[in-house]
Amino acid sequence: MPAAARSIGEALVTIAGREEVQDDDRARAAAAVDGQLPRWVVRPASIDQLGRIVALAHDAGLAVVPRGGGSALELGHPPARVDVLVDLSGLDQVLEYNPDDLTITVQAGITAGTLAALLAPRRQFLALDPPGAAARTLGGMTATNASGPLRARYGTMRDLLLGVRFVQADGVVTWGGSKVVKSVSGYDVPKLMVGALGTLGVLGELTLRLHPLPDAEGSWLVLLASAEAAQAFVERVIASPLQPSRIEFFNDRALRSVPVEAAAAGVALSIGSVAEAVREQGERLGAMAKVDGARIVPLPGAFWSRAARASTSEGNGAVLHVASLPSRLAETERAIGDAVRTAAPRGEVWISASAALGTFRVRVGNASAAETAVATTRLRARVIELAGSVVIVRGPAELRKTVDPWGPVEAGPFALMRALKDEFDAKRVLNPGRFVGGL
Amino acid sequence: MPLSGTFLADLERIVGPEGLVRSAEGRLVYECDMHTFYKGAPDAVALPTQAEEVVAIVNLCRRERVPIVPRGSGTGLIGGAMAPLGGVMIGTNRMDRILEIDLTNRCATVQPGLINLSLTRAVATHGYFFAPDPSSQMVSSIGGNVATNAGGPHCLKYGITTNHVLGVELVTGTGELVRLGGKAADRPGYDLVGVAVGSEGTFGIVTAATVRLLHVAEAVKTILASFTAIEDASEAVSAIIATGIVPAALEMLDAVMIRAINEGTGAGYPKDAAAVLLIELDGPAAEVKAQGERAARICWARGALEVRVARDDAERALLWKGRKEAAGAVGRLAPTYLLQDAVVPRSKLPAIMRELIAIGARHRVQIANVFHAGDGNLHPLILYDDRVPEELERAKAANEELLLACIAMGGTVTGEHGIGLDKAKNLPFQYADADLNFMYRLRRAFDPDGIMNPGKLLPSHPACGEGFRPARPRVPEGAWI
Repeated sequence: MPAAARSIGEALVTIAGREEVQDDDRARAAAAVDGQLPRWVVRPASIDQLGRIVALAHDAGLAVVPRGGGSALELGHPPARVDVLVDLSGLDQVLEYNPDDLTITVQAGITAGTLAALLAPRRQFLALDPPGAAARTLGGMTATNASGPLRARYGTMRDLLLGVRFVQADGVVTWGGSKVVKSVSGYDVPKLMVGALGTLGVLGELTLRLHPLPDAEGSWLVLLASAEAAQAFVERVIASPLQPSRIEFFNDRALRSVPVEAAAAGVALSIGSVAEAVREQGERLGAMAKVDGARIVPLPGAFWSRAARASTSEGNGAVLHVASLPSRLAETERAIGDAVRTAAPRGEVWISASAALGTFRVRVGNASAAETAVATTRLRARVIELAGSVVIVRGPAELRKTVDPWGPVEAGPFALMRALKDEFDAKRVLNPGRFVGGL
Repeated sequence: MPLSGTFLADLERIVGPEGLVRSAEGRLVYECDMHTFYKGAPDAVALPTQAEEVVAIVNLCRRERVPIVPRGSGTGLIGGAMAPLGGVMIGTNRMDRILEIDLTNRCATVQPGLINLSLTRAVATHGYFFAPDPSSQMVSSIGGNVATNAGGPHCLKYGITTNHVLGVELVTGTGELVRLGGKAADRPGYDLVGVAVGSEGTFGIVTAATVRLLHVAEAVKTILASFTAIEDASEAVSAIIATGIVPAALEMLDAVMIRAINEGTGAGYPKDAAAVLLIELDGPAAEVKAQGERAARICWARGALEVRVARDDAERALLWKGRKEAAGAVGRLAPTYLLQDAVVPRSKLPAIMRELIAIGARHRVQIANVFHAGDGNLHPLILYDDRVPEELERAKAANEELLLACIAMGGTVTGEHGIGLDKAKNLPFQYADADLNFMYRLRRAFDPDGIMNPGKLLPSHPACGEGFRPARPRVPEGAWI
């Protein structure tokens, strides 16, 4: 029996150890979320400690804010309260790697970069490539449903997460899903945790589906005269027997900063397969481009990481995630440009889009928070007509206080979401206020 | 408890006389699904034609606290679409229209009663298909596929139903008609579509689904390899996957099954084969060609007796023939069987096959195996003669031991059939109290009154699930509060 703790700080020290609990001003300031300083920063070394920390916070009526790599802290509303910031970087172990089964179980604080290095010798990989992935934690990528160009072939985290161990708002450690690639045993709890921003549970452990690295990969860029031409080209590729791993649309600004050749629009594709199939599909791609009178250039593999960097904002810029439809690629691209230019005359827009899925990553530069807010609202009005959505995935707190970072959620689904939050976190312990509708 | 006259009159007002089955003979048809152990006829069967009628039925039942059981084609294998507590069954058969086909965005919106294969047939001429392909796809409904998160032989490459559902229209247990998800990806908020798929009618009834359509592959290659030992075949499976090939399907038959099939239709498998591996590859022609050659080399290297490659569609159909007739073929070995659906990690296949033979011997029952080797999803058929006293009991004992063995190897109790009434009791093998408690509460958010398919998916507990009370972590004692 540990000695009685006289304060919450002491209780946290009892759980995690003195070294892993910080409450000095400097540590608190460094861990601020949207300018709000946590009262304690705690770094658990096990999921058991994580459970006890959350249980303590729950009983004491404190708010818990989980943090992985800290790269997506600007997603969502500024938090309603920040009391205990739980730094999950200490939970970075690989628990079980079964290369023959193409599955791995890891703690949520491991980074995608560390994981990739571990899998490479077995020629396997986690098929998820959001910008900045190397430094991001898998827990964070799960909580924020982060994705990149590879989703065109491999899907998103919802298709890769097989099992999850998480800590409920009252501290109870809970498991959902399975450790095998195929299971329908009970409700699909892992789906509920993807993109939930830790508001239903703090993620502690993930079992993931892996893929074999293809023997060979080739990448090409097709340069086109307009977004409309790009959409038409993409539609033809999709309706063809070709099986690209990535089909990414880029606007002119994005092409200039990668940098590759200048054009009004570009579609970059990669094909992963056996060497002869890569070569053969590349030739077919070339033939298709030729029919359109478009130029096609081979790309180095490094293109994809350069493109990811170019789509990431620096300083005070904002990044929007726009979901529309593949059939509205050009229309949405134009709507994005119009919205930003109207609101911010000097504004710049970098656009990359998963063209086969109609999802856009939009980086806005040279625009004030107020201008970006206006642009977001305008764009939202257009995209919602298409049953899509506009989410601010990065941007200053000022922007996200002016305009709802998530946008509206229909009343029916929202009532269910609130019912879930009420059921699992009635005391609003987990990331209070940051999720849709202020959940 | 029989339904009152007023209740039945209200129900008839909603669906019309042609949409209501009241007679004992009429209801008998609905007393079980394909798992015929579990019988329970509903007190009435309502066959609505539109979502608004479903809303009205749910509201009526909710007012009177009458249980509701949704049913598609009744081809489930888990005792899911039957009414252990009576009540109203809602059959979706009359809601079977395709509402929209949108090829540009590669999706279709359909009513729940539409037969799985009908959707593929409707888009096949344009070169598209609906990927989930349970063996029942000629008769099973898409609503049923969504409810059970159905799989099929080709889900190794293409994923199971949940990977293909973009949105659903659902009438929840509170009678709300909600549209979850939709054509556009990445809706902000919780992934309600993701949890609704596979909820086996316990959250509500799906009245429409928007599903993904895939482009048909350019080339298909089917290879049949036979082996003298199941270990060799299992190693070939692992080697194929390890080399980076993701076959569209990778199916295995064991010696008992091979014998049963050979005695019947004459698929012509080698007589001394102890394992037959069916490998199907699809994709761009150049890829399929190269990977097909590589897979064949792997099979030879693992000591295959023979490796046959189908040269055309007719030969391909022949190679699949034995696999497709497997369940029927065992009828030659025993009058009846228990069908299992457990999963082990793929690398544990040789170990579980050895264990399975030992279990069969211990309980003196014959076990025939046909399974999705690529994803470790077993389908042992535990054969028994229901005319021999106690043989069923022995089959059941073997069945349970088998499940426990799969769990012990890191597997799960069901890979694609679902839980239903059959496996609810087995869920605690796999989940702790905390995990089950979470699932009860999840269900409550969609169906607070517990009227949707009660008794299914989750084990019943004396205190209605509240008994699965997780232990909370200990927090330091003290005066900190």
